Amino acid sequence: MKKAETKIGRLGIGFAAICLLGAAALSAGAAPDIPHGFDWDGEKIFNRYNETPLSAMTGNDGTRNLNSFYGLRQYPGSPPRIPHAIPPAFADEPYNCISCHGRGGYVAELQAYAPVTPHPENEACFQCHVPRRAEELFVETDWQSINPPALGRSQLGGSPPTIPHPLQLREDCIACHAGPAAVAEIRVEHASRGNCRQCHVPLIVTEPVKEFAR
Amino acid sequence: MTMKLDRRSFIKSAAATSAIATAASLFPGISFAGWEKLEDAAGMITWHKAPCRFCGTGCGVLVGVSGERAVAVKGDPNCSVNKGLCCVKGYHSVQALYGKDRITRAKVRKNGEMVEVPITEALDLIAAKMKETISSHGKDSVAVYGSGQWTIPDGYVASKLFKGCIGTNNVEANARLCMASAVTGFMTSFGIDEPMGCYEDIEHANVFVTWGNNMAEMHPVLFSRMLAARKRNGDVEIIDFATRTTRTSQAADKSILFKPQTDLAVANAICHEIIRNNWVNRDFVNKHVSFRKGLTNIGYGVEDHFQFQDKPEGINFAEFETFLKDYTPERVEKISGVSARDIRYLASLYGDPKKKVTSFWCMGMNQHTRGTWINNLVYNIHLLVGKISTPGNSPFSLTGQPSACGTVREVGTLTHKLPHGVVMNEHDRQMAAEIWNVPVENIDPKPTYHTVEMFRALDRGDIRFIWIQVTNPMVTMPKLKRYRDGALKEDRFIVVSDVYPTPTTDVADVILPAAMWIEQEGMFGNSERRTQHFDEIVPPPGEAMSDTWQLIEVARRLGYEKQFPWSRDEYIGKIWEEYRRFHDSPKHNMAPYEVLRARPGVQWPFVNGRETRWRFNPKYDPACTSGEDFHFYGHKDNRAWIWARPYEPAAESPDQEYNFWLNTGRVVEHWHTGSMTRRVPVLHNAMPSSYVEINPDDAAELGVVNGDMVKIISRRGEVAMPASINGRGVPPRGMVFVPFFDESYLINEVTLDAFCPISKQPDYKKCAVRLEKA
Repeated sequence: MKKAETKIGRLGIGFAAICLLGAAALSAGAAPDIPHGFDWDGEKIFNRYNETPLSAMTGNDGTRNLNSFYGLRQYPGSPPRIPHAIPPAFADEPYNCISCHGRGGYVAELQAYAPVTPHPENEACFQCHVPRRAEELFVETDWQSINPPALGRSQLGGSPPTIPHPLQLREDCIACHAGPAAVAEIRVEHASRGNCRQCHVPLIVTEPVKEFAR
Repeated sequence: MTMKLDRRSFIKSAAATSAIATAASLFPGISFAGWEKLEDAAGMITWHKAPCRFCGTGCGVLVGVSGERAVAVKGDPNCSVNKGLCCVKGYHSVQALYGKDRITRAKVRKNGEMVEVPITEALDLIAAKMKETISSHGKDSVAVYGSGQWTIPDGYVASKLFKGCIGTNNVEANARLCMASAVTGFMTSFGIDEPMGCYEDIEHANVFVTWGNNMAEMHPVLFSRMLAARKRNGDVEIIDFATRTTRTSQAADKSILFKPQTDLAVANAICHEIIRNNWVNRDFVNKHVSFRKGLTNIGYGVEDHFQFQDKPEGINFAEFETFLKDYTPERVEKISGVSARDIRYLASLYGDPKKKVTSFWCMGMNQHTRGTWINNLVYNIHLLVGKISTPGNSPFSLTGQPSACGTVREVGTLTHKLPHGVVMNEHDRQMAAEIWNVPVENIDPKPTYHTVEMFRALDRGDIRFIWIQVTNPMVTMPKLKRYRDGALKEDRFIVVSDVYPTPTTDVADVILPAAMWIEQEGMFGNSERRTQHFDEIVPPPGEAMSDTWQLIEVARRLGYEKQFPWSRDEYIGKIWEEYRRFHDSPKHNMAPYEVLRARPGVQWPFVNGRETRWRFNPKYDPACTSGEDFHFYGHKDNRAWIWARPYEPAAESPDQEYNFWLNTGRVVEHWHTGSMTRRVPVLHNAMPSSYVEINPDDAAELGVVNGDMVKIISRRGEVAMPASINGRGVPPRGMVFVPFFDESYLINEVTLDAFCPISKQPDYKKCAVRLEKA
């Protein structure tokens, strides 16, 4: 990763990604004039589905894995830090992040596909995502994290795994779970089905299980 | 610094360098949601085909069995309905068999207490009580109330016992509450029931209009099939035409909201525009369509003993055109809230000769006090432009239960119906009497009570004994209090066959433990005329037995051994072959038993070994004999009928005092009253309780935030439940929406028992309520 962090710095702000996708705004496609934001912004899934070519949803790179994924986070659900170097000019031009992370695509300089953000509408990227500019801690910490959700949380053999994480800021399933930049262990092979939450429903691991009783 | 604990454990377990190899090394160790393991869980599973237990889509599933337990589900790739995909309910459906409070023994009420008894004692008591009730109150004082979840044999033996042997037409099913308007729509427009198209229309259509139909949640597998077709074919539009914004609206290309009940006016306005723009397919209309009008101001059925008989009258095209004069887009905009521009847009989609259009609908149009009319009106649109009975051109009425079509519509488990035809028709009675081996005089030519009136009759005391199978009316009846109080009256005897305790078993005098779904052999019939057989895949628990066999046991105790002679190891096959005799014609032929066993569903008419995909079209339908390009053989004039049906207001609309519309329905996780799906852990956790959806502006005005308790009050009753703002769906201002699955919040205490005078189907989508912060 160290190598990559220096590489993009040299590259500057040019179009790093060879975008697989067209240039239409992400909000295109959903029925206009409907209320927005309800059902955990469910329209995002349909929009992403509509505008992502099948090849981009089924492409597989396999270089990102859960190890590196959690390696950038402090606890399950924390905003990941930025693993590559960024030119200072990016700081006041957040759309420069979106140019790669809005839709993904291959970044020749990093020899990797850019992960896609599930919430491209939040353009103040640096509000939550920060780079690492120093290796050493100020002082050592006694911080400990809980375990990340186990994989394959199917209720029975072959049944669709539940959604182990809250949907807040993670509404767009296809962004993270499909395409070449998806983390290998959580990548789905059937993103072409389109209506993700018809099979996968939330069962948040950090919340108590509810027992049904009359 | 990272996630300390995990990094360590990850490094330990994920030594492999490639991420894909890492994934493979992680998966074998997983434990499915921490369930207890079967003792012989060596991982060996055998797979058995079945239709899904839930909605009317009729997905083929493969049930994985280990020992005597169902342990897994996958979509059946051989089933053309779902091609290997299920929804979250289907994938977890087998878990519904294993709720801890499963009813496994019979219970009878003794001195007010429900006491476990051997099932034979309960069956003896039922037979004795039926005999006693008939002798003191007459044959029409006993009734059976079944369901669109009855298997075909269940419904068939119920009809044979009650209509053929006992001689009462007191046979109804909950499908009256879900698709009666679809039936009367088909019968009045085409003279023959069930859709002319099939799901393959989805791959051919350019335009989908969902009429009051939230398919993304209610028919998710068909919906994702539609999304996939849009993605693949490109030139496809989905128009969501609804009274509330839903997941379907989010996925649609355009969402058009209309005011409740005004779909009638909009449909007429679409026809108005089709004619005005000269988009009528004149050749089709001249050859295949005739015109009718019926009575107007037809009432709402809220009073006991309500009667209505329509009087169809022939009209001509010019008269139909004159009738439509009232429905200009500008006028209808005022009624419906749909802009004239959107009305013209809808008309242009139907009118464009280059576009193939499929309309989908389900409860929005059927649970409607003018349900028959709105069904007619959507057929009118398709008929005017000739977009029907060809691949992709399809007015498509969907069903909500796995065998609403198979058991209720085809077997005819409604008061006026027989397996072929109606009780009023002498020939149909003769056919039934001959096949059933009963005297023709047994079959009463007069229908008795449709569902709402049946429960009114129970309340009044005209019915004293009712046997309820596979349904939960003490949650689903509109204006619930009256019908619950009626069921609890002295001298009413209620038998309930079910798999779990429900508010309906709470009012029972006898509870029979029922075999559920794949614990018995049977058949379902889905929305596209597909009959689907399933075997007994796992044994029923305790003394549970199939509803069919319960009915046979009681029939024999009543002295009808001759009519119910079958042995327990072959009764389903024998019943099927007897039933099939009713449909021995190219218009309705059913597949033989052996064919059903072999395939994941067979579409009827099944003629000369072939399924019929599009009816009324001679390219596909061997029953067409006219030599023309279409043959609408259901009506005697060999034409489809366009009906002049006006807009009439709802039975109850918001006013000063009760200022909100109340709309009710379902969510993707739960099915019907939740008695099965709430016992599936993943479904319960994802949707643990019901709520009332309120528009954010109304909520602000009322001073409630998400989760605050809100009292919903109507002229019938009230219920307090948590508010949901920007949750699953968003109603427009002045409307609230409540899912009905949750018995802790009985929304039907509030609803109105108004129904369509033609179909007798209640309207669960419209009544007036007011809200209070609780």
